[in-house]
Amino acid sequence: MSPFQYHPASYRDPAGFVFELDGKLYRQVNTVYRTQYAQLMQSGCYDQLVNKGWLLPHTALNNNPTGQPEALCTIEPDRLFFISHPGEWSFDMLRDAALLTLWILRESLKHELILKDATPFNIQFRNGKPVLIDTLSFEHYHGNEPWVAYRQFCEQFLAPLVLMHYTGQSLQQLLLAYPEGIPVATAAALLPRRSRWSLHINLHIHLHARVSKRAAQATEQQTSPRAFSRTKLLNLISSLESAVHHCRLKEDSTAWSDYYTEAATRDGYLVAKKELVGKMIAAVPNVHTIADLGANEGLFARMAAENGKQVIAADQDAACINRLYSELKKEALPVQPLILDLAAPTPATGFRNKERASFISRCNADLVLALALVHHLAIGRNIPLAMAAAFFRDVSPWLLIEFVPAEDEKTKVLLAAKQRAYPDYTEAGFERAFSADFSIEQKNPVPHSNRILYLLKRK
Amino acid sequence: MVQHLLYIDPGSGSYLVQIIAAAVLGVAMFFKNIKLYIKSFFHRTKKDKDTPPS
Repeated sequence: MSPFQYHPASYRDPAGFVFELDGKLYRQVNTVYRTQYAQLMQSGCYDQLVNKGWLLPHTALNNNPTGQPEALCTIEPDRLFFISHPGEWSFDMLRDAALLTLWILRESLKHELILKDATPFNIQFRNGKPVLIDTLSFEHYHGNEPWVAYRQFCEQFLAPLVLMHYTGQSLQQLLLAYPEGIPVATAAALLPRRSRWSLHINLHIHLHARVSKRAAQATEQQTSPRAFSRTKLLNLISSLESAVHHCRLKEDSTAWSDYYTEAATRDGYLVAKKELVGKMIAAVPNVHTIADLGANEGLFARMAAENGKQVIAADQDAACINRLYSELKKEALPVQPLILDLAAPTPATGFRNKERASFISRCNADLVLALALVHHLAIGRNIPLAMAAAFFRDVSPWLLIEFVPAEDEKTKVLLAAKQRAYPDYTEAGFERAFSADFSIEQKNPVPHSNRILYLLKRK
Repeated sequence: MVQHLLYIDPGSGSYLVQIIAAAVLGVAMFFKNIKLYIKSFFHRTKKDKDTPPS
């Protein structure tokens, strides 16, 4: 029997675990979870959730790949082409993931089940829609207990949303800093006084923080849940839903959000560029997954997805990614929007730094698109071209990259803000730097501009 | 016998907050229902956009 590998993030829940075998991901359901799993599958709950697109479907295996005696069964969930982390999601993505969690909770109660955890790490995005990936999140509901994952929901979903709502800032970085959720006491301390005027936010954040503090100080620990009727639980869920609905991020026009609207006005430039990019992508053999880095609002990512590719669309600008997500919700394209600073991509985090993989090790793209990006790295972030080339080499075997010369209007804006010279930032300097890691397969000027598109193959 | 597999810590005071919150919400719902009842005399009730898609 070939050896299987435990997934490094799947160790908390005794109900089962995820493992990898021959490049595929499976989930083992343990015998301790027998009745809960039977309830999920036989009550119609699973079918309901899968039909609504809320739960990732799976197929059951009829063998036991791990050979462990505690295995009840093994399931193979549908494959997702990319695993994103909540710290890489835009505001609306986190908000939709929060709402989905509450909808699943409400639906599961109809089948006498309840969610035993509420973490955004259990949610992924598939064709622009959130989906629960943890089939073992369900526990028996007896009609008289409070929600065990209430605090987790408040800290992992509600607190970041409320903070972003009241500050008007994109605070995705906070999710990276607090992988277990922002403590309600921390959130309450950071929120402005006016947030108390919202009944739901007052209850779930401010009151929650006060009561938790008192309870932690109390000598007598409350060990067993008190009776809590179904109506009360449903009211609580509605209230959490209202709190999430209350949170909205103001649409500000950011530096790059009108990039294409402006670019499109230049005669035929965008049309010609789209055609050229399409042709150059078609020249690369066996491309299934593309990473569009510096995707802006995803014009090229969506074009690639419409041509049957799976696309990771990453940009540092949270507003652009949020807008791309809103578009994807309507179009249901296989595009994964992602907020990512390429100069500091998401690191590996969690226990032993192995639980959550870094962006570079998750990005298994066959081709990287880097359009109108290199000047931001080289001049905006002072990354030498040879180091930029090394980054792309780490990410993908093929690279479609646009060189934006120093004379370009966009580059001039970046150069004007700097006191230093960039003598190597020339066409020849670019080719020299990238030749160390790549061979130049194609070199085409972008019509109506002084830019050049290169198709590079990793050496 | 049914085994419970609740591996997360509900958090100190989390159950108590839910009890208090539910009591407050119960009162709020009571008044909201009265308000809606009165409103429904004058307006056609609109579908709540908060509901999930089915």
